[in-house]
Amino acid sequence: MAGRKLALKAIDWVAFGEIIPRNQKTVANSLRSWNETLTSRLAAVPEKPPAIDWAYYKANVAKAGLVDDFEKKFNALKIPVPEDKYTALVDAEEKEDVKSCAEFLAVSKTRIGEYEKQLEKLRNIIPFDQMTIDDLNEAFPETRLDKTKYPYWPHQPIENF
Amino acid sequence: MLSRVVLSAAATAAASLKNAAVLGPGVLQATRIFHTGQPSLAPVPPLPEYGGKVRFGLIPEEFFQFLYPKTGVTGPYMLGTGLILYFLSKEIYVITAETITTISTIGLLIYGIKKYGASVGKFADKLNEEKIAKLEEVKQASIKNIQDAIDFEKAQQALVEKRHYLFDVQRNNIAMALEVTYRERLHRVYKEVKNRLDYHISVQNMMRRKEQEHMINWVEKNVMKSISTQQEKETIAKCIEELKLLAKKAQAQPVM
Repeated sequence: MAGRKLALKAIDWVAFGEIIPRNQKTVANSLRSWNETLTSRLAAVPEKPPAIDWAYYKANVAKAGLVDDFEKKFNALKIPVPEDKYTALVDAEEKEDVKSCAEFLAVSKTRIGEYEKQLEKLRNIIPFDQMTIDDLNEAFPETRLDKTKYPYWPHQPIENF
Repeated sequence: MLSRVVLSAAATAAASLKNAAVLGPGVLQATRIFHTGQPSLAPVPPLPEYGGKVRFGLIPEEFFQFLYPKTGVTGPYMLGTGLILYFLSKEIYVITAETITTISTIGLLIYGIKKYGASVGKFADKLNEEKIAKLEEVKQASIKNIQDAIDFEKAQQALVEKRHYLFDVQRNNIAMALEVTYRERLHRVYKEVKNRLDYHISVQNMMRRKEQEHMINWVEKNVMKSISTQQEKETIAKCIEELKLLAKKAQAQPVM
């Protein structure tokens, strides 16, 4: 019966909605509705039940000792706090998630590096009206015409022309 | 124009950059560097927008400038007129039927070029510009795509910061569920104990009531039994007497 302060973290529901991928929206919604149900239930139940008026019962119950017996047993009763098996699981999941996020971040950074390199290359090509065909082929290798595979003009399958 | 062709042919025949610069098209035009082997001179400097100035479409301006110090402005014209008259008079150039056809053809060509040259040039330039614009578009689209990819990656990275909300919600749910269970248990205990005590009290009350009623009934019954038949008759007679007395008294006093 000791009063424990419930330590609840404030949740930013907007951010929560942002991080959920599309195919898990239902699970996220059920999580949120659970949260709301539980909050309302928590608000409905007061923290302590009202105290039992032992004096009244002692005066009125004829059986001797019954009330005293009840009172003694009631005060001695310790209600077990339900044990918390699940926070550990959640914490483990969060640790794994932090790890995978770190990996993702690293991969993402390398990707960004590659993108930036490509961007630099694209930005640094000479203006098109000063290019020759050779320069164009260097800057955009896909424009190169394969003169060995198609030795005759137009050096590409006629459909592409 | 033809002189230029001759001169450039001479330059390539000489095959040396320095001499070409001296022999080549003169000071009015920027020196062009010819590719000799390695393509290490890319990007090629752009072609000049307009060719060197010529007079009569044939004779480069440099020739007039060359003769200017000695013969002034009219020098080259006199030279040209003199040469033509010389060729004609000495029949070095013979006038035949070919002359007429040459004059007509060249006249027609000059007329055509003067009239439509500009527009044809513009059309060709437009074609070229379209090609370049398409290429430019492709390049801009590629740049935009890469930028979008980079921004997307950055957004994903930002989202990573918010992942902890998911687990916070789960932990909150767990904590709340535990707390609710605990409180409900407390309330249940209270209710049960109170129920039992109230039960005792109501049982007691009920027993008392039953005992009272039973005693009253028993006392009544015994009293009834103890009244014997003789006593009952006497009692009834006495009651009737008293009632008659009361009736007389009542009649005496008028009803108000």
